[in-house]
Amino acid sequence: MTGMKQRRLEEVKALSVEEAVEIMRQAGIVGAGGGGFPTYVKYKAPQPCLIVNATESEPGYWGDKLLHKEHLEEFLQVFEAMKTIFGFERISMGVHEKDREWFADYQEHASDGVYDIRYVPDTYALGEEKTLIKHATDTRVPRFLETPDGTRRPGMPLDVGIIVNNTETLLNVYNALFLGKPLTTKFFSVYGEEMKLKVYEAPIGASVSEILRIAGIDVEDSGHLSVTDGGPYLHDMAIEELGNGDAYVRRMTNSLFLLPRGRQGKEYADITTDPPKEGIVSLVGKISGVNLPLGGGLLKPATPLVSEGDEVEYEHKIGEPAEEGFSIGVWASMGGAISSVENDIVAIAGGAIPQEEAEAEAEASSAGGAPPRGEAEPFQEAEAETSR
Amino acid sequence: MTYVITEACIGTKNTACVGVCPVDCIYDAGDHFMINPEECIDCSMCMPECPVEAIYPDDEVPEDMRHFTTKAAEFDYSSIAPGVESN
Repeated sequence: MTGMKQRRLEEVKALSVEEAVEIMRQAGIVGAGGGGFPTYVKYKAPQPCLIVNATESEPGYWGDKLLHKEHLEEFLQVFEAMKTIFGFERISMGVHEKDREWFADYQEHASDGVYDIRYVPDTYALGEEKTLIKHATDTRVPRFLETPDGTRRPGMPLDVGIIVNNTETLLNVYNALFLGKPLTTKFFSVYGEEMKLKVYEAPIGASVSEILRIAGIDVEDSGHLSVTDGGPYLHDMAIEELGNGDAYVRRMTNSLFLLPRGRQGKEYADITTDPPKEGIVSLVGKISGVNLPLGGGLLKPATPLVSEGDEVEYEHKIGEPAEEGFSIGVWASMGGAISSVENDIVAIAGGAIPQEEAEAEAEASSAGGAPPRGEAEPFQEAEAETSR
Repeated sequence: MTYVITEACIGTKNTACVGVCPVDCIYDAGDHFMINPEECIDCSMCMPECPVEAIYPDDEVPEDMRHFTTKAAEFDYSSIAPGVESN
């Protein structure tokens, strides 16, 4: 019953809580807004209220708003299904005041009674879930509270009967429950110094350098730039000096933000951006290799189902969730040969390494030694399109 | 809306809050840290970080600590520097 397969609305609504939770776990869904918390864990103990966090707050973030624009029907269906499966008394969308017009279609459908929209002040608040609850409801998440074992911890949304999930996370839930499609991609903005903002859907584990090249950045000649994983306010440094080292698209990457080396992201807090005219561009099937993490953060690594040399297709399962602790299923974000399984990372098609580095390794190893990582067959784009 | 640092910070001055503040609005006011309400974006990230639970949303500050709200609102921040994380 819980396999990854296509389901009609009525079939999805007939799923039990346990079945739906298991599908989310197997599909590998984690909080795409930046938290990375495993989504299935939030739904193990259903709460009376679901708040959909559609308030992406970092300057330059457009992914969630574009997803809402492009997938209205999918969101309406997943709201309806989740209301039935988890017995939500209320589903509310949290939307910034400034975005009223953008969400006009959702306002119109809200009269169907499945969900409502709570408009919240535009104040930049990082899309933080406790702040969203404060503005969108009459409820307050407690500052701190006593746990049964006598310790104290900061309050969480579930302490007041609320689950908060962001837009993209819920679209991933739709994909899993309705389409039987596991999590293999991430939506994010690429923007900042010297380029026009773009929004991509890219395979998880893709090389940041490769994506920047596709976006038109001359990576090798841009050592004066850094790129962060995250926006002007909240980010991790991805590549300090372009052309020197690399980073990979994570399950919670929301943007790749370019800025001059040595400058602070916060200096760009007041930048204004427009959504890209072309909408979201998919890079699925257009990436030369990936490094897919089996775990990371709160996640216990999944047990690899593949070994070096195996051939996998796009969306082939490559990791089984560990039995103990928080753990999720992991699925191939591209087709190709498994080039390595080490340090809880599965590399496909040579891994997500810059091509020149791969070539250098190939040369170095041609004198004997380990087979080069860059030698795998290039991924066939046509196959990716048909397997989607 | 803003957050307010209260009594428990005095003698503690753990800088965890300073480290997580995305807008650097937490200043070193001598005895304790202080949030500039003009710069605070109400994100709440500092609140759970405080090991002595000194930080409150401004509308939840206990009666006997309200003077911290007033002090933070009236303070001249141009005279002091933002706090520095040192944990």
